[in-house]
Amino acid sequence: MTATDISHRKKFFALGNVYLPHIVVIEKIIEETPGVRTFHFNFKDKKLGKEFSFESGQFGQYSVFGIGEAPFCISSSPTRRDHLEFTAQRVGRVTNALHRLGAGAELGFRGPYGNSFPLDFLKSKNLVFVGGGIGLAPLRSLIWNVIDNRNKYKKIDIIYGARSPADLCFKYDLDAWGKDKTVNMVTTVDKGDDTWKGKVGVVPKILEEVAPSAREAVAIVCGPPIMIRFTFPVLEKLGFTPKQMLTTLEKRMKCGIGKCGRCNIGNIYVCRDGPVFSYAQIKNFVSSEY
Amino acid sequence: MEQKLRQEAKALLEQGKVDWIIGFEPGSLKFTTTPLITKDKNDADRLVINPFIVNNLADFLPEIKGRVGIVAKGCDSRSIVSLIQDNKVVREDVVILAVPCPGIIDLSKVERLVGKDRDELDDVTREGDKVIIKVNGKKKEFPVTEVLFDHCLACELPTPQEYDILLGEPRPPAPNLEVSGKDIENLKGLTPEQRWEFWGNELSRCIRCYACRNVCPACYCQRCFVEETEPQWVMPVPRWQDNLLFQIVRNIHVAGRCTDCGECERVCPVNIPLRSLTREMYDMVDELFHFKAGMDKEALPLMTHYEQEEAEDFFR
Amino acid sequence: MANKKVNKKDIAKLLNQWRQQFTVLAPSKENGVAQMAEWDGKDTSFLDWYRNTVIPPKASFLPPMEEMFRFQKDKEGYHIELPPTNEHKQLIFGIRPCDARAMTILDMTFEEAYQDPYYLSRRKNAVLVGLGCTNPCESCFCTSMGVSPTESTNVDLMLTDIGDQFLIEVVTDKGKELIAKASGLKEATKDDEAKAKETKETSYNKITRKLDTEGIVDKLQASFDDEGFWEQTAAKCISCGICTLLCPTCYCFDINDELVRGEGTRFRSWDSCGFPVYTKMPMENPRLEKWRRVRQKVCHKFEFYPMTFNVIACTGCGRCIRLCPVNWDITQVLESVPVKTGVRK
Repeated sequence: MTATDISHRKKFFALGNVYLPHIVVIEKIIEETPGVRTFHFNFKDKKLGKEFSFESGQFGQYSVFGIGEAPFCISSSPTRRDHLEFTAQRVGRVTNALHRLGAGAELGFRGPYGNSFPLDFLKSKNLVFVGGGIGLAPLRSLIWNVIDNRNKYKKIDIIYGARSPADLCFKYDLDAWGKDKTVNMVTTVDKGDDTWKGKVGVVPKILEEVAPSAREAVAIVCGPPIMIRFTFPVLEKLGFTPKQMLTTLEKRMKCGIGKCGRCNIGNIYVCRDGPVFSYAQIKNFVSSEY
Repeated sequence: MEQKLRQEAKALLEQGKVDWIIGFEPGSLKFTTTPLITKDKNDADRLVINPFIVNNLADFLPEIKGRVGIVAKGCDSRSIVSLIQDNKVVREDVVILAVPCPGIIDLSKVERLVGKDRDELDDVTREGDKVIIKVNGKKKEFPVTEVLFDHCLACELPTPQEYDILLGEPRPPAPNLEVSGKDIENLKGLTPEQRWEFWGNELSRCIRCYACRNVCPACYCQRCFVEETEPQWVMPVPRWQDNLLFQIVRNIHVAGRCTDCGECERVCPVNIPLRSLTREMYDMVDELFHFKAGMDKEALPLMTHYEQEEAEDFFR
Repeated sequence: MANKKVNKKDIAKLLNQWRQQFTVLAPSKENGVAQMAEWDGKDTSFLDWYRNTVIPPKASFLPPMEEMFRFQKDKEGYHIELPPTNEHKQLIFGIRPCDARAMTILDMTFEEAYQDPYYLSRRKNAVLVGLGCTNPCESCFCTSMGVSPTESTNVDLMLTDIGDQFLIEVVTDKGKELIAKASGLKEATKDDEAKAKETKETSYNKITRKLDTEGIVDKLQASFDDEGFWEQTAAKCISCGICTLLCPTCYCFDINDELVRGEGTRFRSWDSCGFPVYTKMPMENPRLEKWRRVRQKVCHKFEFYPMTFNVIACTGCGRCIRLCPVNWDITQVLESVPVKTGVRK
């Protein structure tokens, strides 16, 4: 494997200093769960905003100036472009600072970086989305993308779970997809409460119950590492080959462009060669480190 | 001594009295040794004791699971005792193989003495109070005190007090104990402003490799304050102000646990005279609290108790 | 262009000519550690003591810390300002062939895909004047890494000791310009060339540490999951950053912000895969165990870099061996990688 050709990704921000962020403005903040917020934002420079393009699965480096930068996938769909979105869980230095910000605050943005979900490969296939917790963020960009081009794809299954009903992210999307007759939406929680009427059980178990067919299908998986680790074997049992399983990886990143070194596992840089990988690509090489 | 060590180490592993042996084996460069950490009794034959066993092997103890037989010089044994005091090591889990230590040769001093790098020397041997250095086929003789580490010249405990197996005849403390290094004496003669400038210059070289911290048995924190991000106490960039802050805080954190083993200064790749800081702290701890780290395993750790007569003017 | 020569005692004169146009960096111990530092216009005593620097010359291109940009906020929002560009030209005098090759290896990463403006602008403006090793260190193993201690491959001009003089090989166009701007150089004679050849041979043979890298990529690949091997290999490592930060081919860096009274700065600084925090994410750390970090370091240089760029990211400079607090020796480690059949796909 040689260095990934990224020429197709260099059209935007190709010139000048790749490390300089552009200023974006937070337009709206949605509290998904007590620790997770979705930020709607737009470029401060309207012209730049118009030129900007990205694909589902790509990520950006977001600066809270004075605190630092952190990578988040763009969680909105490229088919819906009046604004961009990213979703962040409050877990570290940068995300804590992000959660202190309100609408109107300015952030730095560099990107889009990384590869994207292979739309050509997904075309005319049955799609099985398997998500856990905040892991739905990159999937939802693709899900809306697919729904907005519905006739290009066949059956859509979405199996999404969280620890508890309160931990479910993007409830408005879950509702919308639940109402969509062309989508089979299954929501589950590890532990229900008095009002919960949906399924109870961890995502891999529910996936096994739902048992989507592997025929002409691709599974797209994203969630906490533990969920991913238990989901792949279930998919294999259902007949999915490693090439039919896609995931997006999350690693500590600083530069986002394959230089600073920390997202290197095996001979791949998650930021440059990913974040989207097929299970076939990662299963041998990165065994215990994905 | 070496033969005895090998026999004892082999026996300890064979009899299942320890799971691990930590000692020294010959290194890959001239006049070096390297830590040997093994479970294999056959490796015991590689163990050595010579004037170049520089490392303080106590550094490895907290991270190793199981019972350990460990080779310890006097200073290393103090670190082990200090770790026991701090509940980082269980006494029953360690078998201390005590080396009565006549001092370790500081190759940097040898280099300065003969004007050659260590790999250009033919031989460096110790004979009693003399060191014989062979360069370009010629022998040069010096008093051994000229090539021993500064901390060895100030050694208070050449032979471990706390041990299980003594590998040789006990040795007396170093004769001129008051020596804490010329550098420190010189620094004491400077004004605070001059000292500030001195340390600013020295610390400007620091590259934040953290070898000083990682080699230090007293620095066993799982999470070091320099790596904390909330709040971020120190910027993780090698700028002299931040480097100095790192060293000052590290020094305060090891007060009462630093045994003056000198490892921090030895390993510094950019030659920062770190012992001038740690030794000064060591002396201050002694003066203010009459406490010497790792001398008595029954003593309470310095920072966990307070006595009425302790110098209160410290809290001015 | 034919080779030139210069008297050793005229080196200061030569450097002073170049100093008109370049910031000349030369080996120095002035600041307490051997490194490439701005030359003072006089002192050439380094010709006597210099074997190699402790701080690798990469520091002149990827400094231990640098400002990426500044930022501040006013009524209209945030403004970003670049630091003054480093247009002044550096001439590195005396770089060793191992370190020069390391620069070529670093170029691959910083040029690949996205261009790194900070590194590349310094690199583009710099010239490298190499100085062949005649007294290599015991820890050097450059010849095993495809580098000769006197080779001229990765520099603009190459100097080789021929007694009272240096033979000067003109390697690149930049080198040609340097020569054109220097007066007092003589043409090298056949005799000089012969002497240089002899120096080169003698120097080559002085490197005694050997490392067989035949099939190393496959070997490491096959042993990637051999936890026992890596645990044993890592046992005495203390997880400090010496071998990586001071490696001439290691390039990992960190990025951090600082805000002081409304004035912000984004810094980039050296970082090391040996540090546990390097890969630490708030919820998990994929390389918390020491052996994983040691494996990463070894495999990045000897497996992943060759897979990506077809070159091993090690030039045999030996710094990691000489400077290691516990004498962790990369050559011994690589020799001990178990030979396994059935390479993983």
